[in-house]
Amino acid sequence: MTKVVGIDLGTTNSLVAYVKDGVPVVIRDRGGDALLPSVVSVAEDQTVYVGREAERRLLTDPGRTVYSVKRFMGKGVHDVGDEARLFPFRLAGDPGGIVKIGLGSREFTAPEISAFILRELKHRAESFFAEQGEVDADVDRAVITVPAYFNDAQRTATRDAGRIAGLDVLRIINEPTAASLAYGLDKRHAGLIAVYDFGGGTFDISILRVEDGVFQVLSTNGDTHLGGDDIDLLLMKQVLADQDVRLKPDTTYEGRASEVVSGFSRTGGEIQAIRQAVIQAKLDLSDADETEIRVGSYRKRITRAEFDALIRPIVDRTLEPCRQALADAELEASQIDEVVLVGGSTRIPLVRRLVGELFGRTPHSELNPDEVVALGAAVQADILMTGNREMLLLDVTPLSLGIETMGGVMSKIILRNSTIPATGSEMFTTFVDNQTAVDIHVLQGERELVADNRSLARFKLRGIPGMPAGMPRVQVQFQIDANGILSVTARELRTDVEQTIEVKPSYGLTDDEHAEADFDARLLIEARNEAETVIRATEKSLRSPEFPGIAKSELGAGERERIDAALAGLKTVLNGPDREAIKTGTHALNESTQHLAEVMMNRSVHAALSGKSIDQL
Amino acid sequence: MDVHFCPQCSQILTISRHGDYFAFLGIPRKLNLDAADLEQRFRALSRQFHPDYFYNATPIERRASLERSSYLNDAYRTLKNPVARVEYLLGLEGFSARGAEEATEGAAKVPAKLLEEVFALNEELDEVRDLRTSGAAPEVWRAKLERARAPIEAKQTAHEAELTELSARWDALGTDVGADGCERSAILSALRDCVLERNYINNLLEGIERELAQ
Repeated sequence: MTKVVGIDLGTTNSLVAYVKDGVPVVIRDRGGDALLPSVVSVAEDQTVYVGREAERRLLTDPGRTVYSVKRFMGKGVHDVGDEARLFPFRLAGDPGGIVKIGLGSREFTAPEISAFILRELKHRAESFFAEQGEVDADVDRAVITVPAYFNDAQRTATRDAGRIAGLDVLRIINEPTAASLAYGLDKRHAGLIAVYDFGGGTFDISILRVEDGVFQVLSTNGDTHLGGDDIDLLLMKQVLADQDVRLKPDTTYEGRASEVVSGFSRTGGEIQAIRQAVIQAKLDLSDADETEIRVGSYRKRITRAEFDALIRPIVDRTLEPCRQALADAELEASQIDEVVLVGGSTRIPLVRRLVGELFGRTPHSELNPDEVVALGAAVQADILMTGNREMLLLDVTPLSLGIETMGGVMSKIILRNSTIPATGSEMFTTFVDNQTAVDIHVLQGERELVADNRSLARFKLRGIPGMPAGMPRVQVQFQIDANGILSVTARELRTDVEQTIEVKPSYGLTDDEHAEADFDARLLIEARNEAETVIRATEKSLRSPEFPGIAKSELGAGERERIDAALAGLKTVLNGPDREAIKTGTHALNESTQHLAEVMMNRSVHAALSGKSIDQL
Repeated sequence: MDVHFCPQCSQILTISRHGDYFAFLGIPRKLNLDAADLEQRFRALSRQFHPDYFYNATPIERRASLERSSYLNDAYRTLKNPVARVEYLLGLEGFSARGAEEATEGAAKVPAKLLEEVFALNEELDEVRDLRTSGAAPEVWRAKLERARAPIEAKQTAHEAELTELSARWDALGTDVGADGCERSAILSALRDCVLERNYINNLLEGIERELAQ
């Protein structure tokens, strides 16, 4: 039988593991190395290098070598910030489309680059199994891990990478949860666990309850763009600025943006040399109190205290998600029984100290923080293949899912931290008479407004028979599977018209929290909606067949003019940003039409009482 | 209690559309639940249905496992939360709070007195905003807000107590529908009003908190 493996597809390093006689083991290469650097280089003759060799080529052929590709998984061109300047490779892609990575004359998507890494791990595992004398050493199935805070697009991109590499992706699981599974193996006691996972490019915090072998995630939070890379960037910028002071800055250089940082021009290879030097210094400072950054003839001493002060803002950014996760789990930090550290960046003493302070206890780190995620992935792969019921992972969806409703507001259908698989549904209706199609816009995120959340997909439910506005009953049903990936069904219940879509990534914005600004924007939209309702009702009255008669017999002098003026006034402010003006205008229009409304109401009541239709009056 | 597996062949069954969360979890339709018992049942059923254990099963079984797991998770999430639990029960018993709010002539009405208070408070909030924009000292409008908050908080406390009391009365009813028909609907209708009013009260308090945070 072919083999199944667990893969940790990391920002900096990737690993593969499998379960042997019930115990997960990391598979090493022939040189005994467990870590495969997540670096891919495509040479001019199209030879593809992955790992250590590709890492070396960062210095010799930087324009054809890519690292930290995980940062671009599921990302749109608009998502890439100014850090692109420091990458030696070219970022491309159509506006509004997905990011492409240009290596020489060819362009690759992030899943394609990741697939090279996965294929390398697959080969590593296959040669390992062949050496072990296995009859069938093929590896064609894997569990792959992702940061818990990855959104739907990033998860889908990871699954795609697996497929491109020729792997049947059994399951996408979250890195901190995988780590807890590896930790939970030998110590079977129950309790509340916080997994703090600070890696090369991403940060996750997950709070779990472990009981009866069930690993239940209570809440998760994080930042998919915060990791050791950011610390490296900070140090690099310091070195570059420092060099510019010492050397004469070249302000006339007008080369490629990626080669110009601060005022001084450097080649991609020079920047990579600085990057490797600062990474070495960072690693040194995990043990030493002082070290030296060495690039060519450049030397700079840096103490642990200086380093700590420099990176403190980055480490502080991990603490707020921890507090949010605790709040979402309705727990106090003091209730947490154990804190587990995962990811290379947790080797930094400052990180350990601040996490220890936050939770009021010394964090655990008995297992190698680089390997623990891959080990957990292997355990999960084993559970899936054998149906072994000793352990069970119950994970959650990290971000709320919903759809766009009137006025550009997101209506949430499944809330964040819901245990998956999960379903949710909501009923919607049409807005105008005889509307035959409804646009469904699927969103992910915590913000109030559509524009501030990530757009996952758009589709149209067609074929609704003509009915008055408000009559159709459109049910939108969400299903999140055990991979955390969403599918959406829309159905008109009166006619049973149905449409299902697999959510394919479309690209939106990042998902920071800005509740206050959201609230104001929401109020503005609500004011507009109300104004539009009053305008429509007024115009409808003015158009009605009975209006001329009423105008003649019942309206006072100048009343019609006052209504027209109020109507025109409200329309001019309607699409402006001034909520108060809209509210005032709506109020004025309401006032001016009050008498007219009363007259019309009396007439219809009278008509109803006398059994005649209004037209007959 | 729902039947999750075929009694003859022990295959996982596709979910029926007639069940409810209480029956699915095998617990009575009561409002005071034993939290530990709920957790324990949730874990036990998760171990029976989870898609992890049906990876190599037939497509029908895999689908049934996904459906049952999703339903279980939805049920657990709803019943775990005391307010969601009341709202769910009201829906089951045909006293949906949401529906009544939307219906033009629902049986449930928010008392006119409460509505008056809503309007009065909104006016007060407007005044506070005016005061603030006209540059009044924070102590002035803050004091105003604090004064407005106290009676609403008292109301909230009273409501919590009422909810607890009604829940206890509901739980004390027998399962025999016929005998207590009148009392049943009286309690349910009171519960619905309570939930509706609760939303208003919470919104009022949120409005005040938001102004105070300015």
